[in-house]
Amino acid sequence: MPWRRLVIVALIVGPILGLLAFGFTRDARYITSPLLATPATPFTVTLFDGRKITLDDLRGKAVFLNFWASWCPPCRDEARDLEAAWQKVKGKDMVFIGVALQDLDNNSLEFLKEFEVTYPNGKDATGKIAVDYGTWGIPESFFIDPQGRITYKHVGAIRASLVLSKIEEAAKSIASAQEGKGDYQAIR
Amino acid sequence: MKTLFQGSLSVAYVLLVLFLNPLFAAATPDLEERTREIATELRCVVCQNLSVADSPSEMAQQMRSIVREQVQAGKTPEQIKEFFVSKYGEWVLLKPKTTGFSSLLWILPYTALVIGMLAALWFIRRWSRTRQIRTEQTSQSGETLQIQSDFLKEKFDQPNLEDTSPRANLLRERGRLKEELSELEFDFQSGKLSEADYLTLKREIESKGATVMQQLDALPPEPKTPKEKRHEPNVLRRNRLPGWQLVAGAVFLLLFGLALGVMLTQSTRPRTSENDTMTGDFMTGTTPPTGNAQAALNEGKQAFTQQDFPKAIDAFKKALADDPNNAEAHAYMGFILIQAGHGDGALMAFDKALSIAPNFPMALWGRGTVLYQDKKDYAGAREIFERLLNIVPPGEERNEIVKVLAEIPTGTGPKNPSSAPAPSPLAPAASSAQISGKITVDSKLKANVDPNVALFIIARPAGGAGGPPLAVKKIDKPVFPLNYTLGQENVMMQGTPFAGKITITVRLDKDGNAATRGPGDMTGEYKKNPVEVGAKNVDIVIDQLTK
Repeated sequence: MPWRRLVIVALIVGPILGLLAFGFTRDARYITSPLLATPATPFTVTLFDGRKITLDDLRGKAVFLNFWASWCPPCRDEARDLEAAWQKVKGKDMVFIGVALQDLDNNSLEFLKEFEVTYPNGKDATGKIAVDYGTWGIPESFFIDPQGRITYKHVGAIRASLVLSKIEEAAKSIASAQEGKGDYQAIR
Repeated sequence: MKTLFQGSLSVAYVLLVLFLNPLFAAATPDLEERTREIATELRCVVCQNLSVADSPSEMAQQMRSIVREQVQAGKTPEQIKEFFVSKYGEWVLLKPKTTGFSSLLWILPYTALVIGMLAALWFIRRWSRTRQIRTEQTSQSGETLQIQSDFLKEKFDQPNLEDTSPRANLLRERGRLKEELSELEFDFQSGKLSEADYLTLKREIESKGATVMQQLDALPPEPKTPKEKRHEPNVLRRNRLPGWQLVAGAVFLLLFGLALGVMLTQSTRPRTSENDTMTGDFMTGTTPPTGNAQAALNEGKQAFTQQDFPKAIDAFKKALADDPNNAEAHAYMGFILIQAGHGDGALMAFDKALSIAPNFPMALWGRGTVLYQDKKDYAGAREIFERLLNIVPPGEERNEIVKVLAEIPTGTGPKNPSSAPAPSPLAPAASSAQISGKITVDSKLKANVDPNVALFIIARPAGGAGGPPLAVKKIDKPVFPLNYTLGQENVMMQGTPFAGKITITVRLDKDGNAATRGPGDMTGEYKKNPVEVGAKNVDIVIDQLTK
């Protein structure tokens, strides 16, 4: 029966073509993080003012962790939003930490001055914190709940409203099912 | 007692030295080798299909040092790979795992290969069998063949059951034999009969059929019905592939080839930006850019800098025909329209560019300029320039934006119509947006120059040593003295203006990779660095040799 042959051919070729088409629609460079809803790796970051912050010391508080660099345009784009969000939650049981990646100290300090950033910022000189958080594009933001669990991740520039809603969720230990995506720049 | 204790300590010390020394001696190269082995299996997270071992990126270097530390700490390669998988997912492994869902990636190709080979074998056997049968049939005498072919006619008009004439009886017998033959065919096709049995039985039935046919022929002739006349000898029909199957096969192969060709070229083309997907929106129906668009864009930019606007318009139109989503070409068209005094057209062009790349500095600058100069929409212009201020890093361009912002009146009316924004480094500048000069090699180093090396001319923003180079030009197999120009077409990040104060260095690179430096590389820099864009006679002598 000719139609039977056609059906068999369609059944074999269809899924192969479908798989091929699906593969072509995906961005091969985008890395979906396996870290959502897992315990955040402890880290210690030396701030630009010389103080040190350890994640373990922040247990009981919701933490917003942001990786950035002064040479990254999307980081500049979100900087004012982050500071605005920080001004709104300052004083609550919430902490913002910025970590500069692959950047020169002078440029980082210039950046912080330019955008009048007041929340604590330090640098990841060895890149270890970045690898621990599976960072590959900046800016990247992580929200950590008071028990030290990652509740949300956002690759790319993030807006103040989203920061506020996600930090509220983190404070209540509500983990998101999916990470967010904005304008990002691959790190070097 | 004490002496005995001291003695055994000395023995232990000597043994330790003896055993440990060779280990220590071998430690460093072994460590590097093991680090490299593991790094080869990890994918660099910021590159395209490069391993951590092969990538020159800063991120890969940091990942390598983590691998090295973990090897030193005594972790096994599996534990180290597992560490990276826990951070980046299985994506980070260049070789997918052989367990779980990933095992399909290993199993499926081999399964497909085996199935394909079995299918090919089956088809070959079937074809050879058909051919054998056909050969056997054709080897029989012409008369028998004719009789048998008549017998094998597909349809028979069964005689009336009440008809008991000899012809009717013979016709009934013929029908019965035909059915028997069909059943035999079916049994053979479904594998119930061996080939030898099939052929024997078939011959038997056919010879019976031939006898019946001969007996029928011996009877007085009967006029044929028109229906009978239409029947063709079935042997020929059965051995011929119907035309529609051939056409369908050819069409399918053609479409498959086309799909594969298009998809492969799509997937291997260079990406134009971070957000450019593998298909370049092919699946969503928009045309992906090709190399022609980039070539036309470069041609247009060159014509623009030479103020040859008709030629520039043609080139940008060509670029847009090939890649309608080229934000840069739209922005340039906008600037040409500003020059021609078409504010509305320019605004449309900039809007189009911004709809493709919302933060494209050149288009933002253009839109801001039109709103300020042409439309006198100061609030709108202010908003655009403020947005631009957030994106542009400190430097010449930024100062320009600050200056324009200070000039824009806060009220609704124009403060000073003549104080329009000056041509910014963000806007495509005139032909002076180039640096040119001559490169020579110091006489002491001339003997060391390998004629097959690559020359890199590197421009960095003055004082911005930490960032990536602003522009790089590579010249293979350079011949000295060499005249060069460096301009907007050489910038590394699309949309970044080639402007301001720039530090120019050159490097003769042995391995042709701008990101790595090795022994034998030669370097030189412009003695009066930094230099303003537009400068000429920026002559450089290559006078340093990397040991």
